[in-house]
Amino acid sequence: MLQDGSTQLLCLTASSGVPLFTRGASKQLPFSVIGSLNGVHMFGGGQGALLSSCETEGGGKVVWKVFHDSVMLIAVSGGGSSGACSGAEMSRLQRLLENVWSCMVLVLGQDELVNLRNIERLKRDLRSCFCLIDQLLEEKHQGVLGNLTHCADSLVPPNPTPLQEALDGFAQAADSEFGCLFVHGRIVVATEKWWRLAPQEVVLLCALVRTLSASGSASCDYPVFLPQGSPTVAHRLLHFQLLPGADVCVLCGPTPSLQKAETELVGRLWSPLIETLRSCLAVGERCLPGSVPLRPDVLALLLINRETRRSVSCVQISSHHPLSDSSLSKSRCWELLELFYIFSISRYFTQDETLCGSPEESTQSSHTEDFLHGFSHQPQQCYLVTEDCKCYGFQTQQHQFFLLMLPSVPTFALRTVATQTLTDIISATAF
Amino acid sequence: MRWFYNTMASVSPGLCSENALSTTQKAEEDGDTESTSSSFSSSDYNYDLEPEWLDDIQKNGELFYLELSEGEEEAALARVAASQCLSTNHVRFSEKEAEVITEQASTQRRGSRRKGEPALKKLARILGRKRRPSQRKGGKDGSRGKATSSPPASILKTQPGQQQGVTVQRRRLKEVCVYLNPKRLASSPTPLCERGGLLEALLGLVHRPAWTGGQKDRGAVLQDGRLTVHGLIPNSPAIKCGQILIGDVLLAVDDVDVSYENIERVLSCIPGPTQVTLTLETAAPADSAAPSDSSPVQKTKASPPVSQLVRLLWGEDTAELQMAIGHIPHIVMYLSLKLDSTSLQEEEEILYQYPVSEASSQLKGVRGIFLTLCDMLENVTGGHIISSSLLLGKHLVHVGYWKEHNNLLVVGLPAERVPLLSLQTVVGDVVRTLKVMYGSLNSAFCKADHALRLDHFFCLFFQQLIQPWRLRKGSPPPPDVSGSLFLDGLPAVRWLTLPPEIKMEVDTVLSDFESSDFGEMSEDFFGLRRLYVILGSCLFYKSYLIANHLPKENLLDVCLYCQHFCLLPLASEQRVGQLVIWREVFPQQRASGETAPGFSQPQGRHFLLIVGLRHFMQCVLLEAGGCASPALGSPGPDCVYVDQVKATLLQLNALEAAMEERLNVPSAPCLSCADWFLPAATTRDRLDSLASSSPVLSKLAGAIRGSPSGHRGRSLFGEKSRKSSPQRSLSDSGSEGPMDAGSGSSAAPGLSPHSTPDSGRWIGGRRDSLGSDGSGGSAGLFKMPRMKHPNPFYLGTLKKTLTARETEETYNTIKLTSGTENTLFHYVLMETVQGIFIAPTHREVAQLSGSIHPQLIRNFHHCCLSIRAAFQQSLPARGCRAADRSQRSGWGLGPVKEHGVLFQCKPENWTDQRKPAPTMTYWVIGRMLLEPVPQEFYVCFHDSVPEVPVEMAFRLSFGLGL
Repeated sequence: MLQDGSTQLLCLTASSGVPLFTRGASKQLPFSVIGSLNGVHMFGGGQGALLSSCETEGGGKVVWKVFHDSVMLIAVSGGGSSGACSGAEMSRLQRLLENVWSCMVLVLGQDELVNLRNIERLKRDLRSCFCLIDQLLEEKHQGVLGNLTHCADSLVPPNPTPLQEALDGFAQAADSEFGCLFVHGRIVVATEKWWRLAPQEVVLLCALVRTLSASGSASCDYPVFLPQGSPTVAHRLLHFQLLPGADVCVLCGPTPSLQKAETELVGRLWSPLIETLRSCLAVGERCLPGSVPLRPDVLALLLINRETRRSVSCVQISSHHPLSDSSLSKSRCWELLELFYIFSISRYFTQDETLCGSPEESTQSSHTEDFLHGFSHQPQQCYLVTEDCKCYGFQTQQHQFFLLMLPSVPTFALRTVATQTLTDIISATAF
Repeated sequence: MRWFYNTMASVSPGLCSENALSTTQKAEEDGDTESTSSSFSSSDYNYDLEPEWLDDIQKNGELFYLELSEGEEEAALARVAASQCLSTNHVRFSEKEAEVITEQASTQRRGSRRKGEPALKKLARILGRKRRPSQRKGGKDGSRGKATSSPPASILKTQPGQQQGVTVQRRRLKEVCVYLNPKRLASSPTPLCERGGLLEALLGLVHRPAWTGGQKDRGAVLQDGRLTVHGLIPNSPAIKCGQILIGDVLLAVDDVDVSYENIERVLSCIPGPTQVTLTLETAAPADSAAPSDSSPVQKTKASPPVSQLVRLLWGEDTAELQMAIGHIPHIVMYLSLKLDSTSLQEEEEILYQYPVSEASSQLKGVRGIFLTLCDMLENVTGGHIISSSLLLGKHLVHVGYWKEHNNLLVVGLPAERVPLLSLQTVVGDVVRTLKVMYGSLNSAFCKADHALRLDHFFCLFFQQLIQPWRLRKGSPPPPDVSGSLFLDGLPAVRWLTLPPEIKMEVDTVLSDFESSDFGEMSEDFFGLRRLYVILGSCLFYKSYLIANHLPKENLLDVCLYCQHFCLLPLASEQRVGQLVIWREVFPQQRASGETAPGFSQPQGRHFLLIVGLRHFMQCVLLEAGGCASPALGSPGPDCVYVDQVKATLLQLNALEAAMEERLNVPSAPCLSCADWFLPAATTRDRLDSLASSSPVLSKLAGAIRGSPSGHRGRSLFGEKSRKSSPQRSLSDSGSEGPMDAGSGSSAAPGLSPHSTPDSGRWIGGRRDSLGSDGSGGSAGLFKMPRMKHPNPFYLGTLKKTLTARETEETYNTIKLTSGTENTLFHYVLMETVQGIFIAPTHREVAQLSGSIHPQLIRNFHHCCLSIRAAFQQSLPARGCRAADRSQRSGWGLGPVKEHGVLFQCKPENWTDQRKPAPTMTYWVIGRMLLEPVPQEFYVCFHDSVPEVPVEMAFRLSFGLGL
């Protein structure tokens, strides 16, 4: 039996049901269970009834999805983690499966996954995705919501212009149009072409860079397939650690070599900007420069720019706040923010489609949002008052904004606080 | 009809003798029945010979008797006339439940009651039994009329030309639908002994045998036996349909050939109110005899006049309705989890299945999935499976599960009708209904003879969910599907507040009934042990609950039953002439054994008696065993109890005017129509016209004209909205010192709607901002005003002292929102303890009309589904307290206390290209309170309201005498 709140991911070949790997949860499900989970889906598929999801008492969930008729992914969640939003949990798992598939494509390329020539070899190759997949499964990757939102987690630096110039120069020197600078695993600046990558690809590249940076190597050369841009032809991802916590990467062709780029370009172009980078690092998890005032009773916020597909999120816990009963830990705030985001998205707000996967897959996922289509009028804003906090979310043409506040904030003031905070951020950073 | 009886009072011998005989027989039987059931009183049957419903009782004692009211029949007839209906030919004589009764059954029934009765009665019964077979057979579809002297063939197969010879070319056939109600005859004081017999009494056709062939050759007439129409009785079904002409010849009734010899028998086979098709031969007008008319029978299909719901309840015609949704995948299956692998029989694990259609067979084909998942997932996630989603072609289907012992109930429903959020409620409700009706799922599904009834049950279930508009006339698609999902899913019954005197009167009448003091009708009078103890009853008026003397769980049981059989909407449209329902029920509270310590539930059996007369419907829960005499076998309804309920309802009829008045008065909180807030020119005009008729609205119209912009700057939570009106500043200052005398005095009048709630709001706001504790905000808010005046829910004593006038004034003046405009659009308030909810009456909503407003209400209900789901899902989390929750890795958003969504709407078909469409924004807010009484509020109001909803909730609950 799965533990509460843990998620296990099963990957099998769709045609024969051979298990490729399982990740997540300390205790693996018995093989018979894996076989039956795959079996019911296959049986239904043969009868024209495509099983997509399942829910049990206590919030346990199972979600199935087949990609390109070759690989079946099953996510099993142990329940208990989603008191207030079972539908939300469902869409979280669905998104997880999409991300895992894209990860596999990113690392191995679509050809190898679709053609399934040598299963034993594929099993071996898939091991290289594990650290990335584990990162997606890991619940505690605080401060990164891109996997859910499919918007690049960003960090707004106090002074972006020199960084942007340096990055553009660096990418040009590396013979690439795709370059990106990360601080704390969030995008600080990126070249224009980088932003034209599919949002999901950007998010996955961020995740990849985070794992590469966590591995501790100062530089590496990693072949990547872009799940949508070039699922069959690999590019080289050159990654360099500038400072602990600050990374730069470029997507490039056969040249230059890693050696050459590291010795000739990195030092030359980035050493003048060390102080600027340090100031970026100082922004830390707040993601917003100090010039942006945040009310003390704001616990956490998530701001999404729907046009540029970027997001900023932060949690501020002031332990000495007079009114907070300090029952909310930082991780709990992140979790609440995440839950509130999924809750609002799965019920009220439209999530801008990221066009991942084939068209029939996207229609299938839109089926799960049937509740949203039941509204005859357009939801604009929503709020939740729970025992722990008060949440306010709204969407405009350009932004989606989600705010977590202390329970002490009067309910009637929520809207004002939220709009005011948004205005402050936008006017200060032009996000 | 009355006129007819009076004029035909001149008695002539002949056919009437049989009728007279049969009625006396029946009376004797009744007497017999009653004497064994020990509460018979002869006086009761002095004039009223037998209850009309007696024939419909099934062998297991259950009764479902529904008779339309006269108004409804006339409406049906009007529709026949309007559509020139040469209608469907598959109308049956009897409802399904009656069909179940065979000759054997009825004799068994009688046999079981018969013990040592006088010989004379035996004789009478033998006669009666002789007569009955034909009646019963006539009632059945297939063998209808076989007992008649000459075996009748279908009129469609018989060439009338064979009989008519040369005349056939000039004559043609027509079919006419008429609605007949033989029960009306029985209730008429005049005995049915006219020479016209049933032909005149029931149909209203006058046939004088002597006239047909002229006086000279009477024998030839009898041989001929043709039923020529010689006259029509005024106000009879025949004349009302407007298509039967003098000179026509009646050839068949529902495709059964009729002649002078068998017409009385055929008509007497009609057991209950129904619609029949008459086939008549008519002289074709010479000029209209077009060549196409050469075919003898012209048939056109037209919509059946009696509404589909009634037909469905009668058990007719389910095939057609079922066909209409055949392509939508839906299914209910009861599967056995114990598989015997040695057995070779296929599909033996399917204990029950409905319906049999193509789409459902696909679902049936994958039942292995359901069984496997149910079996396996418990070991994986540690809980029973409750739902799964499947994609069948283009349809997304949600499947709900319910496991009981070793069996599994599976209900598959299309996602576009039932969102996943409400699937569990829907399945839970249908399971509970089944349990109320049959005790447990096993006993419901595992008895072979239940299959027909379950088919009927699930037919109703799916029709209501998938195409409710087919059942209810006047509600075309798009239906408010989520509305019915939400309101039916609430564990509560719609309540109508009444002025206190009326309420008291109603309660008194009900209490009188419940005391079982039936005078000389009671068992006490005969020194016998009571048959039943009345546990309580509840009373509905036009689908609103107006009085309830049942415990909450019992009320919910009863209400689920009524909801399932659509009894409430039925009563609201005056379709019910008479409704008698009797069945054994298994109240769920007793089944679950939740009782107070030291009190053991008597081991009795329970029966539900529902009697409806016109708009009133009373549900009575009876207990046999315990202190009453134990019930043996399957007792049918007892006439005395039914009559006592009827008497109660008749007594209450006197109050109908008052209730109508109450329904007409715009009730406690005034409502606004959403369309008024969209500054379209047409809306303004409509408003003006409305305003001229109503002073209340004129005020409102003025206010709107004053501020023509659709989108006001003010907002619910906005700073700007805090600018205080004079009233508010007054009350604000009053409440500055917390709970001081000042605010107390301002609140003391209690019914001033403007000042008090504002103070409530202020203090509520303060409390909230202080954040004293997690749930304290709301509780504190409610405690404070309660000290000033009695809680609305316990207002009883105070309200009784008010005069009717005053109360009415309060009703009129209470406005939920403050400011010059009324901005409340809709609300639902549920009181969990009593299991009731209030919402604006249908009439109120209808008065508001508008084009946007219905949309808005639909949207409101849809949103409420989501809000309530959020409340529900946070309930288990509330169970385990914070300490042990924080140890767990994650536990969701935590208990939700309040949830609101802001919507924006635009008028449809905005043609003006130059200007952007005006928009209107409104809130839908739900709030759950656990103290002082568990309540849930759902309100919908315009964005410009500067208040917290709890204030509205407060005012809403105020003025309710629950």
